[in-house]
Amino acid sequence: MIPYAELENFFASLVATAQARGITCAITSGMACVHFGVAATTKDCDVLCDAAKSDDFRDLIASTGLRGRFPIYRGNISPPLDARWMRGGWTSHFAWKLKSEDACLDIFGIAPRGSSPWHQDLRGIYAAPNVVAEMKRTNRDKDWPFATALGCQMLDEANPEGWLHLYDAEVLRLCAKQVPPPDHLAQWRPLLQLAPFTDTLRVKRLLLAERAFWSELDELRVRIYQKHLRPYTSAVRRASAGRAIAGVAESHALRLECALAHLPPQPLSDYGLDRMILEAKTNVGVTVGPDVSEWLPVAEKHFYGL
Amino acid sequence: MITDPPSASIPSATLAQRRRLRRIMRDFHVRAFGEELARVNLLPEPQRKQAVAEMIDHARRHGVKLSRPALGVTP
Repeated sequence: MIPYAELENFFASLVATAQARGITCAITSGMACVHFGVAATTKDCDVLCDAAKSDDFRDLIASTGLRGRFPIYRGNISPPLDARWMRGGWTSHFAWKLKSEDACLDIFGIAPRGSSPWHQDLRGIYAAPNVVAEMKRTNRDKDWPFATALGCQMLDEANPEGWLHLYDAEVLRLCAKQVPPPDHLAQWRPLLQLAPFTDTLRVKRLLLAERAFWSELDELRVRIYQKHLRPYTSAVRRASAGRAIAGVAESHALRLECALAHLPPQPLSDYGLDRMILEAKTNVGVTVGPDVSEWLPVAEKHFYGL
Repeated sequence: MITDPPSASIPSATLAQRRRLRRIMRDFHVRAFGEELARVNLLPEPQRKQAVAEMIDHARRHGVKLSRPALGVTP
């Protein structure tokens, strides 16, 4: 088993090398959470990469060895690491096949739910806490405490945007007793109008509605991508059958061919971002209640780059 | 581009308020993640990373699979 510390150093060094070569990229998700003070037990590395630098990053990855092994695209499902698909929010997967287990790297050009250009606010080799916290608004329950913890961290750094990431009624109430949220943030998160958050049951219900909304949006988003992945994955499987794929370059050429035929670069835009948001709001209206609609956050700005 | 965290964006927070904010954060970590992880989270970075590495390696040695499936899209 390759120790986690070695894996972490390996990925940190890969990203640092990429940055030194002018490839804008940053570690996000679990490893970034650990850096910012919220322990996450993942050994995989997630990296945001400027879509325009996809070719350069792919070349760097392909030539970077780990314990004498060079990477491959992970599974038939992985879309190509190519600017066209990275701009559309797809994720490319790579793995270094080691004896007992794989070292896995996921790369995306668009930060899911990102509201700002992630590449303009880096913390060394890491994405900013704001970006990492936005990415934690998923349809998985386990992610939400991470968002709140990162929001607390931002408030501790005197960054008022931390208020946008607190999803715990008690934390909202106690923090507001110290420093109230700035008025202007309520335009993005109407729930902040309820400061000092003493109407606990109402706050809890609206927090529930907010989470349900982001969760619905995430489910819709993933479903749209997955629909297109089925024919693409089959095509990659067929094209690779019986061939000994030597490495990333050969596999990339094959995937590019399959993607051009089966994988729309911009599935979310094709589907319609407004349509997605409307569907998520409608679903929350059913699950939580139609009265919460006006309290839902402004999701339109959370598709930055798409 | 590398930028520093926004400075003094909450100018009205006094030292005492900042201390109380930290206590709120600490209490939340205990409630959300449990005492042991909260302790790890509040360690200085090198010790925190070492503690996380030990936890992850311990889990892997006992057969816990920590890799996520490749989905083609990030949740």
